[in-house]
Amino acid sequence: MKNFAKLAAAAAVASITAGAALAEGLYTPNLAYRTGPFAATGIPLMNGQKDYIEMLNARDGGVGGVKIEFEECETGYSTQKGVECYEKTKGEAIVTQPWSTGITLQVLPKTNVDMIPILAPGYGFSPMMDGKTFQWAFNVPSGYWDGASMILQYLQGQGDLKGKKIAFLHLDHPYGKEPLPLLEANADTMGYELLPIPVGLKEMQNQSAQWLQIRRARPDYVVMWGWGAMNAGAITEAVKTKYPMENMIGVWWSGHDADLRLVGDKGKGYKSISWSFPELESQAMADIKKHVVDTGKTLSNEEEMQGVFYGRGVVMSMILAEGIKVAQEKYGVGEINAEQLRWGLENLNITEERLAELGMSGMVAPFSTSCSNHTGHSGGWMLEWDGTKFVKVSDHLSPDTSGYADLAATKAAEYAEANAPWPVNDSCGG
Amino acid sequence: MLKDIFVTPFADMVAAPDFLLQVLWEGLVSGILYALIALGFVLIFRSSRIFNFAQGIMVVFAALTLVGLHSFGIPAWIAVVLTLGVMYVLAMSIERVVLRPLVGQPDIILFMATIGITLFLIGGGEIIFGGENKVMITEELGIPTGDSVLEPWGGLLILQHLDITVVVVAAALVAVLLAFLNYTQMGRAIRALGDDHQAALSVGISLQTVWVLVWFIAGIIALVTGIAWGARAGVSFALEVIAYKALPVLMLGGLESITGAIIGGLMIGLLEKLFEIYWGQPLMGGNTETWFAFVLALIVLLFRPQGLFGEKIIERV
Repeated sequence: MKNFAKLAAAAAVASITAGAALAEGLYTPNLAYRTGPFAATGIPLMNGQKDYIEMLNARDGGVGGVKIEFEECETGYSTQKGVECYEKTKGEAIVTQPWSTGITLQVLPKTNVDMIPILAPGYGFSPMMDGKTFQWAFNVPSGYWDGASMILQYLQGQGDLKGKKIAFLHLDHPYGKEPLPLLEANADTMGYELLPIPVGLKEMQNQSAQWLQIRRARPDYVVMWGWGAMNAGAITEAVKTKYPMENMIGVWWSGHDADLRLVGDKGKGYKSISWSFPELESQAMADIKKHVVDTGKTLSNEEEMQGVFYGRGVVMSMILAEGIKVAQEKYGVGEINAEQLRWGLENLNITEERLAELGMSGMVAPFSTSCSNHTGHSGGWMLEWDGTKFVKVSDHLSPDTSGYADLAATKAAEYAEANAPWPVNDSCGG
Repeated sequence: MLKDIFVTPFADMVAAPDFLLQVLWEGLVSGILYALIALGFVLIFRSSRIFNFAQGIMVVFAALTLVGLHSFGIPAWIAVVLTLGVMYVLAMSIERVVLRPLVGQPDIILFMATIGITLFLIGGGEIIFGGENKVMITEELGIPTGDSVLEPWGGLLILQHLDITVVVVAAALVAVLLAFLNYTQMGRAIRALGDDHQAALSVGISLQTVWVLVWFIAGIIALVTGIAWGARAGVSFALEVIAYKALPVLMLGGLESITGAIIGGLMIGLLEKLFEIYWGQPLMGGNTETWFAFVLALIVLLFRPQGLFGEKIIERV
């Protein structure tokens, strides 16, 4: 019944926001997935995003005095439905938040024509960092190559990677394959052996074959690019095969509290690189509690709100709100359009001071964007499961962007050529 | 290349027999779970000629109901009994609301109706239980969660107690089902309906009763499957996709054959694991489990269109 009430509230909120979107305010659709095989990982993120916007609307009347109309369009993580949602919402939208690398890749060419910025925090096509080529796409504050770079850097800190074997356990999906070019390129320069191990969608919950391969290959480390049920499946198999947890590191989408709770103490030592961290005592979280939770507007619950994913959702909406604010200040209007928001997202400057003003110190590392840098490369922290929650076990880690700048430029050029004629922002220095 | 295909895999098997045993064990566990899911399909198809697209979502629904009831403080085994009650009510509702009005309609209509049931259960399940991943109440049910580490030939063989329990319970369930179908009046009624609908109806077998019964049995199978899979990686709507693993089992074993479902499930479980480990991973980059079973089933269908154990249909023209 609790869930029924929540869904009824969600439906009411969705219908209100959908109606209002046509009336006034800044329409910012989110191509969410609260249903389907990936719902378990999607729900806390969507709740965090939604609650932060709710809080801004309740506390400040939106951004710059203009309400944010935050509407969810359900995709079930299906690329086909995601494209339908994009087409359905693009008319009034000042931004599209596609969720899923598959959907991002599909709408990427469309946004050039429709002139709507893509906001894909921490996901999407890694070469989107090249703002000159991908002028409408933003994968702030960190891309997948940043994540892979930070993981390699962390592992390098544990001992020279030369002669080591790294198994790359990944979802057999565009998302899972994203870091492969970087990992392959680094295998040559760093001297490690890379063993890619794909996991099919139907195999997510029964990865015994993949873990038998890991047992046979005896890799020094397992790096995981998992999502949805694959994370829980991998972690339970790792426990089952007695793979040392401290040698297993996931990307930020593989660091979900609920997945680790399945194994509890047995998951101790498992790590996940993350560009966000839940600061439960922060002012932003207190404001969400006051304006959203206590007024019964949240779809979340106390346990979920303490997790990494909910906090990440909050940070994502903060980035959107900051982009809107920067654009409003530049153009001197409250109701900005999509093109103006693109400028805002391209000129973000999230400093320590700004994070403190926002009441979000420690929830994300400072970063800034520019015409040529659409990722920001905030870096992040290595988190570790302590049996009940994720804790920080590293200082701030920065990706070595110089190590893949050329690769990004090459892949961006290849993409532009393959999708020619592809408009490039010539006013951008590069 | 020929050596990699015809020599190296077998040399690897001989060189590491403990690892081969582990592969076979994992294949057996997967196979028996595939067989269980396939059995749910076969029972319903035999009695009603309906290909039950909703079997996968029934697994999710049963597991979520069990976990949901327990979350209200109901003791685990009472929650199991109540879940069985829910599955019985579901079977009755499906028969009364969906199937009975469609009696006599073409098979494709009944198949489409089961897609409707799937969508209804997905929506209803998400409204009632939410989409979050939930922890299966494995320990509360008394299912052992430890492992036994053996050292055959000086190697390593890890047997999860959960997997042993799953194999034993699934085997027992299959044995009980076979006994029920072969030695009870109601079981024979189900088989009679499968053999000849018209003849079975003419001797007074109640279609409604049998349909409720087979859907309820499919519900029991769904619950056991849901517990077994849910204990591995949690209970969420992702469990639904495992039902698709039963499709090649049905192609291989035949849609009407209970023996076919069991042997087909075990064959696919064992062969896909062996192929993946000794040929797929070294030669094809892995993840061959997504297609191997279908290719195997297609090869069988080339020579036996009715599947390994399906009945050959001879029509007079």
